[in-house]
Amino acid sequence: MLRWLQRIGPESPGLNVIHRHFLQMLDDGRHIFDAAANCVLGAGDPEVIREDLYTTDKRINLTEQLIRREIVVHGSIYGATTFPALLVMMSLVKDAERIGDYAKNLFELAEVRPPLGGDEERQAVIGLKDQVSKLLVRAHGLFDAQDEDAAREFLIENDAVQKHCDDEVARLLCAEGENASARVLVHRYFKRVTGHAGNVVSSIVMPVDKIDYFPGKPHSEQ
Amino acid sequence: MSTDLSSGPEADRFPTVARLALVLLLLFGFLVAIQMIGGGIKLMGKGASEGLMGEGLNPFAGLSVGVLATVLVQSSSTTTATIVSLVGNGGLAVHSAVPMVMGANIGTTITNTLVSMGHVRQGPEFQRAFAAATVHDFFNLMCVVTLLPLELATGFLERSASGLTDLLYGGSAGGEMSSPLKEAVRACYGAMVSAMQFLGLSRTPLAVAVLVLGVFLTFFCLILVTKNMRVVISGQMERSLNRALERSGLIGLGVGVALTVAVQSSSITTSLMVPMCAAGVLTLENAFPIMLGANIGTTVTALFASLATDPAGLTIALVHLLFNLTGVLLVYPVPAIRAVPLRLARGLALRAQRNHLWLPAYVIGTFVLLPLVGWLVT
Repeated sequence: MLRWLQRIGPESPGLNVIHRHFLQMLDDGRHIFDAAANCVLGAGDPEVIREDLYTTDKRINLTEQLIRREIVVHGSIYGATTFPALLVMMSLVKDAERIGDYAKNLFELAEVRPPLGGDEERQAVIGLKDQVSKLLVRAHGLFDAQDEDAAREFLIENDAVQKHCDDEVARLLCAEGENASARVLVHRYFKRVTGHAGNVVSSIVMPVDKIDYFPGKPHSEQ
Repeated sequence: MSTDLSSGPEADRFPTVARLALVLLLLFGFLVAIQMIGGGIKLMGKGASEGLMGEGLNPFAGLSVGVLATVLVQSSSTTTATIVSLVGNGGLAVHSAVPMVMGANIGTTITNTLVSMGHVRQGPEFQRAFAAATVHDFFNLMCVVTLLPLELATGFLERSASGLTDLLYGGSAGGEMSSPLKEAVRACYGAMVSAMQFLGLSRTPLAVAVLVLGVFLTFFCLILVTKNMRVVISGQMERSLNRALERSGLIGLGVGVALTVAVQSSSITTSLMVPMCAAGVLTLENAFPIMLGANIGTTVTALFASLATDPAGLTIALVHLLFNLTGVLLVYPVPAIRAVPLRLARGLALRAQRNHLWLPAYVIGTFVLLPLVGWLVT
């Protein structure tokens, strides 16, 4: 959808610059998500990664602002024909920025709580974290390639991961134990990161008004 | 989106090389049009030309003519090119034309003021847009208020421009410099006049037809040059503006000059500033030097037009350039003076946001009533 919108507009290297900056945001988001999730799982030292994480998050925020400025300049020069594509980008940069925010939330959780204990539960969260991380890598590649078929497959898998997170949150809310609240938050953050990655990929297949509302998305969020 | 769209199939619908070739053709057409305006005036005879363009008008009336003519055609390039043609073909004296080119500077700013009205319902956004539009007006008004009396008292612009013309023409400013381009323009003009004569036109009808066609062709060629160049350089325009967003001073000035020279229209450059300022991504302080650059860049059209005229045409084109350069040098380097147009623009924008009646009052007052009254009274 986004590629199609760009093609009806006038020729411009500006959209490519915006695209490149956006991919950098996704890369940065995936990087700090991995780092923060590792800290939560006890596989990383918060003291060691703090500076890198906050620097990267700041870069994400600055890139978001840069893209917004570029969108205004591009729209001023090229006019109404580029507005749909620019509106899509305006929406997507917020999703990419939110991935960074949730990674930061995960990190803050790791700072105030000890790493998740219990081997079995921990292994399950590690598996989920790997899944989310791979989804982020795929979201980057799909957005770059604008592959519609692969995007639809992605959205189905993405939906399954979100549903799994919802189920875990529901289960953990009734569970007892000192790490239950931390696990609820971890699953909630994982779900939100996955959700924002899904929003980015939904722009490949959905029309402008239905971005974020792809078929199969949990009913509560439709 | 991953591929560069400018090199994609979309760009091939009308290749850049073809657009540039078309622009060259249009620029040649523009020179022919300039020749036609001057030729038409000559065909009318001396008395008629003086009456037509107000030879002998006092400077304030000349200023008003410049403002009104530019407001009417929404293009200072067309006005100044026409003035260059008239001066270069003996239809108007340089000293009479000086206030007119100053007036053209004021008149051209109406375009971005009108553009800013698109934001009128947006409150603070409108305030920023209107300030961005009127800062250019206030700068030009300041320059005229300062430099016109100085010019009337000393003639420093005209004398400097004459000196430069002498220098460029090798001390033969009173004579004529021939070039293959000028010969080609004259041949084309001669062919067009012959064609009109063949159609049965002669004397006054022929002169009027040549003049009207010249003005129309000037306008037509400039519009098409602007439209095509805007497409050709839009990518570069975007890159330059992105670069200039957070920088001020010479970079903005350079960007303003370069973009305006490329698209041959200061209105395009200054009007682009309005939505960017409205959105808040460009500050008034950073937009200001870009607008000053646009003022300097737009003088290229008149300089180019002078290629088709006698040395006096170059003199008035240089007056236009020197006037704008002097204005920038007077206002921009000193922070206290630079702040004046910015403060006036912000003040007016604040009032216009609170009471929208300021809008028509300002636009009609500055661009219509004041010049009209000035013209009628003097």
